[in-house]
Amino acid sequence: MLQVEKPAWDTMVSHAEKTFPKECCGVMLGSDGLVREVVPLPNVYTGPQEDFFVMDPLDLHRVDVEARKKGLDVLGVFHSHPNCDAYFSKRDLENSCSWFSYVVLSIKDGRFDHANSYRPDFDQKEAPKEELIYG
Amino acid sequence: MAKILIPTPLRQFAGKQDSVTLAGATVGEVLQSLTSQYGELRRHLYNDEGKLRSFVNVYVNDDDIRYLEKEATPLKDGDTVSIVPSIAGGSAGVAAPPVTLSKEEILRYSRHLIMPEVGMEGQLKLKNAKVCLIGTGGLGAPLGMYLAAAGVGRIGLVDFDVVDFTNLQRQVIHGTKDVGRKKLDSAADTMRDINPYVEIDRYEVALTSENALDILKNYDIVVDGTDNFPTRYLVNDACVILRKPNVYGSIFRFEGQATVFAYEGGPCYRCLYPEPPPPGLVPSCAEGGVLGILPGTIGLIQATETVKLILGIGEPLVGRLLLYDALAMRFRELKLRRNPECPVCGDHPTIHELIDYQEFCGIPNQPHEPAPSEGDIDPVEVKAKIDRGEPFVLIDVREPHEYQICRIPQAKLIPLGDLPMRVNELNSADEIVAHCKSGVRSAKAVDFLKQAGFRKVRNMKGGILAWSDKVDPSVPKY
Repeated sequence: MLQVEKPAWDTMVSHAEKTFPKECCGVMLGSDGLVREVVPLPNVYTGPQEDFFVMDPLDLHRVDVEARKKGLDVLGVFHSHPNCDAYFSKRDLENSCSWFSYVVLSIKDGRFDHANSYRPDFDQKEAPKEELIYG
Repeated sequence: MAKILIPTPLRQFAGKQDSVTLAGATVGEVLQSLTSQYGELRRHLYNDEGKLRSFVNVYVNDDDIRYLEKEATPLKDGDTVSIVPSIAGGSAGVAAPPVTLSKEEILRYSRHLIMPEVGMEGQLKLKNAKVCLIGTGGLGAPLGMYLAAAGVGRIGLVDFDVVDFTNLQRQVIHGTKDVGRKKLDSAADTMRDINPYVEIDRYEVALTSENALDILKNYDIVVDGTDNFPTRYLVNDACVILRKPNVYGSIFRFEGQATVFAYEGGPCYRCLYPEPPPPGLVPSCAEGGVLGILPGTIGLIQATETVKLILGIGEPLVGRLLLYDALAMRFRELKLRRNPECPVCGDHPTIHELIDYQEFCGIPNQPHEPAPSEGDIDPVEVKAKIDRGEPFVLIDVREPHEYQICRIPQAKLIPLGDLPMRVNELNSADEIVAHCKSGVRSAKAVDFLKQAGFRKVRNMKGGILAWSDKVDPSVPKY
């Protein structure tokens, strides 16, 4: 189960809506399954960003170092799917990392529609849904 | 001693510590030592072959070890090693949520759906497939129409040409009403009329080394319907680099070839033809002609292979070059093997990116009008000479079947190939003008005659096509 506190959730949704029609991404920080802070990160994919995102590992590294200083953990990452549903796509799975929760936000016509959270396995074969509580 | 920062989710496997300090001379050594101390961590960081998982990045202080010495990167006392995953993804390449067929689509594809080899699963594969057609001419026409009809979900078209009357004898995707329109628009209209459920991407460009990878990377399969060597090599190399199958076809007069290149360890075009032929040696369809139905036959073999690859059924035409002879109505097969020495798909490839294919094929990059040689004469001047009644001999070096299409009444027919035998029919004292269709063959005839000692020979510039433009529009162009 992943729970996101309201201010953190609002940050995620507003980042996703602002980045529309491109995909956004970012990191969720907290502890024990409770997300208390969100850090939006730039999508550094050099191709069309409407249906793909890449996080700069160095950005993630810096966020991790900062989080440790504050006593927070990196619980997961989030990204948006502009104008389509919040499924875990083939590309999401192929690029997934089993260590994290993956929150996907569906943004339709610039507005938040719905979201899901997934836990991919080691071999990037499956990503079962986990319960997501927000707001 | 180096400090390893343990990523949050992995701390449960490292005694709940957020960092571990270990001895080791290199990154590889401390990671080995970490995973032997905390066995559970191993499968999170390494795959079954003992390699770091693809999504694992390791930093020493702030430097990615990929840009240092990888796992052999040396460590000093006090260095910090961080383990950071690569994170990427996106909505593209939908796999998890199955696309479904609407009631209308089920009706439309019912003859596919009732075959177990296709069925609902196969039809969904077709709907999810992305195929790029290079060219919407002779081969592209049947390909575009049948792949659209079959329900291929997304079809890219690359063409920058305009429909003209000489296309209509074979390019059945375009009609008489389309003459003068962009081939892309005309082809897309026909395909959408056949199947409105198909998404069509139009690329009004010549495929080049600069744009090929960007265009083709969006598709699963590339179908080569081009008619020139530079583009064939370009499509081939791009497919090998992108690891996408290249469904190949070529046509000439009454004969065609088809095969699938660059498919899972199979050969590529360069394995078959390592070097292009010298420019001008192999005539194009515009020069040599083509039976109008032939591209239909070959294009549909390409379409069949494309659909089989998408469905994953049958035996793909890989490692086999299918040769078709329409006159004999015979198919033959040549075995093709991947060449381990091949510069693009071999064991030690030397070409890793796209090159200048015009140059590779010996074609000058800026095609320029040949400088008017003193041996040239304009059709208007030839006509004036005829009208003035000047004595000279006009020879037509085209083939007899071309002579039947159109001719200049005063011209004497001596096909280029017969010229050496029939040179005695000409008198070197006469003034001679040679012509052909566009001026290329007659230039060869002029060269030949000059070598044979003729001094007063000239080439009618632009051939009978220019004659039709400048002198007598009633002469049909072909």
